[in-house]
Amino acid sequence: MKHLMSIICIVSPVLLFAQGFQVNLQGQKQQAMGGAGAGTNLDAAAVFFNPGGVAHLEQNSVSAGVSLTAESTTFQDNNSQQQYHTKSPISTPFTGYGVWGPAESKFKFGMGIYTPFGSTIKYEDGWSGRFALTQMKLMSVFFQPTVSYKISDKLGVGAGFVYGYGNIDLSKDLPISNSNGDYASANLKGTAGGMGYNLGILYKPIEKLSIGLSYRSQVNMKVNKGTATFNVPPSLASSFPSGNFSSSLPLPQVITLGFGYSVSERLLLAFDVNYIGWSSYKTLSFDYEQNTSSLKDTESPRNYKDSYALRLGAQYKVSDKFMARLGTNYEKSPIKNGYVTPEVPDADRLNFTGGIGYKPCDKLVIDASFSYINFMKRTDTNTETNLSGTYKTRILVPGISLTYNFN
Amino acid sequence: MKRYKNSLYILAMCGSMVACKPHIEEPSIDKGSLDVSKYVAVGNSITSGYADNALYYDGQKVSYPNLISQQFAKIGGGEFKQPLVDQTSVGIGASGGARLVLAPHTDCLGSTSLAPVPAAPAGDLTIFGSNIYATQGPFNNMGVPGAKSITTIYPGYGNPANGPGNYNPFFTRMASNPTSTSMLADAMALQPTFFTLFIGSNDVLLYALSGATTDAITPSAGAPGVGFDASMDLIVSTLISGGAKGAIANVPDITSIPYFTTVPYNGLVLTSQLQVDGLNAAYSPLGITFHLGQNAFIIEDAAAPGGKRQITSSEYVLLSVPQDSLKCKQWGSVKAIPNAYVLTASEISDIRTAVAGYNTKIKSLATANGLAFVDVNKFLTMTETGVTYNGINLSTTFVSGGAFSLDGVHLTPIGNAMLANEFIKAINSTYHSTLPLVDATKYSGVKFP
Repeated sequence: MKHLMSIICIVSPVLLFAQGFQVNLQGQKQQAMGGAGAGTNLDAAAVFFNPGGVAHLEQNSVSAGVSLTAESTTFQDNNSQQQYHTKSPISTPFTGYGVWGPAESKFKFGMGIYTPFGSTIKYEDGWSGRFALTQMKLMSVFFQPTVSYKISDKLGVGAGFVYGYGNIDLSKDLPISNSNGDYASANLKGTAGGMGYNLGILYKPIEKLSIGLSYRSQVNMKVNKGTATFNVPPSLASSFPSGNFSSSLPLPQVITLGFGYSVSERLLLAFDVNYIGWSSYKTLSFDYEQNTSSLKDTESPRNYKDSYALRLGAQYKVSDKFMARLGTNYEKSPIKNGYVTPEVPDADRLNFTGGIGYKPCDKLVIDASFSYINFMKRTDTNTETNLSGTYKTRILVPGISLTYNFN
Repeated sequence: MKRYKNSLYILAMCGSMVACKPHIEEPSIDKGSLDVSKYVAVGNSITSGYADNALYYDGQKVSYPNLISQQFAKIGGGEFKQPLVDQTSVGIGASGGARLVLAPHTDCLGSTSLAPVPAAPAGDLTIFGSNIYATQGPFNNMGVPGAKSITTIYPGYGNPANGPGNYNPFFTRMASNPTSTSMLADAMALQPTFFTLFIGSNDVLLYALSGATTDAITPSAGAPGVGFDASMDLIVSTLISGGAKGAIANVPDITSIPYFTTVPYNGLVLTSQLQVDGLNAAYSPLGITFHLGQNAFIIEDAAAPGGKRQITSSEYVLLSVPQDSLKCKQWGSVKAIPNAYVLTASEISDIRTAVAGYNTKIKSLATANGLAFVDVNKFLTMTETGVTYNGINLSTTFVSGGAFSLDGVHLTPIGNAMLANEFIKAINSTYHSTLPLVDATKYSGVKFP
């Protein structure tokens, strides 16, 4: 395990997109079960999935997990019919959870560190959409201190405060040729911050059934002092002054209704519906501190629409030490026709997941999952750039986490 | 060591996941009713790859017919030979100059800015020094700078014995037999199965480029070699005589060419009342008044009282006008801009009438013979307001628009790629082929130092 963690540290902690650039990798158990987790209360990841369940957790615990995401997109240009591929580096969304409360108390406290949104994508050199994008890394890390209260054995509520930290790094080519005929390029880099909250309620009307409702607020990530760097022919350097820029990105609100149903002692089913408020993402703007006649502020239309996801998962207790998990989900793209961009070559997705849990001793749990994220093939012509083509994306995500329980 | 092995294993696993690319079925390329095994392009300077005021290697490599031939290679196209000049040559233009490049230029006022300047003091005359037909020909690209419809069929168009001005040295260097052959005859000698024909611009454009001082507009009427219509009839009937299919392009209107539209008519900027008063005193006999700010230039016009008048907003000062004369020698104010740098309303009207007549003829030839019709005029008119291609904005604006080269008449590499795509779209539509378009993003615009 130590070996694996050492590798992960080498890989930069950047993320991939999923449904827009939402990343649904916040707990290995839940990932293995199609991403459903608002209605079940499996472990400390409830801090993210439903803070209302945290007070009902039987044990105090700390856990750490990581997923290795390998994004791969093929783009076929509608005009030239040439195909281009991404060469995206592996990104490593991670989670860290801690839950603690005295056994006799109705309160439990939790802390979550997770990465709810992000994207890492890099297109091959010379691809035909390079004036829209050559590479982007978008990362967010949310820190969420949480308190949860057990109203009764059947009912719990919880609330968390969210501080989001993010960074963005994107590059594209500019249609300006140098003396060799090579095109110029621009790079925009910056860090961002924002705040929000996460509320949840978990209700167990009967022994076999639990129902959860969670609400994660929108978090506006603001970049205030980003750095824009332009690689242009020397004679045009004064027209493209490198300097600061500001921008912002709304990370949308998510409402989740989840169910957990124990079919038997061994079999648990989970089902979640997410409603994601992507319609707040209307434009992507870059405001440069120093404008010139060549360098103007930009405002690109995104016009996302609200979207939803359906998640279904099952957990089977093979023995006291082993758990097996399976799941699937359908994620509806928030991106309308005419607005697909190379940043997020999004499409509706039908995904399959699986995983195992292993409990070598009472205090230690190892969970591993594998997600196959399969985007539908999507053909679109962007209204802003006229980039026209067919995108097909697949993401493979193996992940693992360690949980240490204590009382 | 074991730790190291584990790391390698994980890295290998990551690597293999990236390696399997999502699959998109590549569409099959259908050639429809096309046979492009022998493609010949007939045309003028645009067809030859002439750009930046010269014929030079880099321009020839991105000539639109050469780009089309690269797509034709996907459906059985053969070799496409061009009369290439030496790769290192500065090239040569119709008036003997070297190709233009953007470079810092200090004007008469001492201010330095980027401007098109010749890459060398003179053009490379060795290009005209020898005939390369025997070593490099025969040529599929029969684009000859300066060619008109009436000269395309002219035998001996490359014959130096005709005397300067009566033969075309660009043809002399590439003709199978300069003294006796014509462009059309050399094109037919290749027995083309497919042709593109983009000729006729010079029948009116050379007149326009000269400020309507030389090169009379070719009349529509008249025998082959004299009139446009009969010359075009002969060219097309000859090209299709062996069963070839083809595409024919029409002539662009001058308003979409930066050579005519770059210098503003009201570029006389007066900044002091002293200047205004002086000019008002000088021009009061002609009833012309000036004011602070932008004023219409004074141009020569033999028909006007005193032989001068102010230019109107619908008339053009040409890109060829010496900028230093405007800035420091009081051209356009105290001294009228000479006729050779100006197109007046009546001249523009003659040009438009000719273009409209030519284009009617070209369209009817396309229809009558079932040829693909390439509406270059419409394409450039659309480009006037700007087109966006894969995130690149292109317009007909000089230099910054990216589509036109530094001479303001011919195209940049990406401009040629866009033109090649107009041909391919027309060909696909007429011959039911599904030839992919050129990826224009691979080609540069105006090059900045």
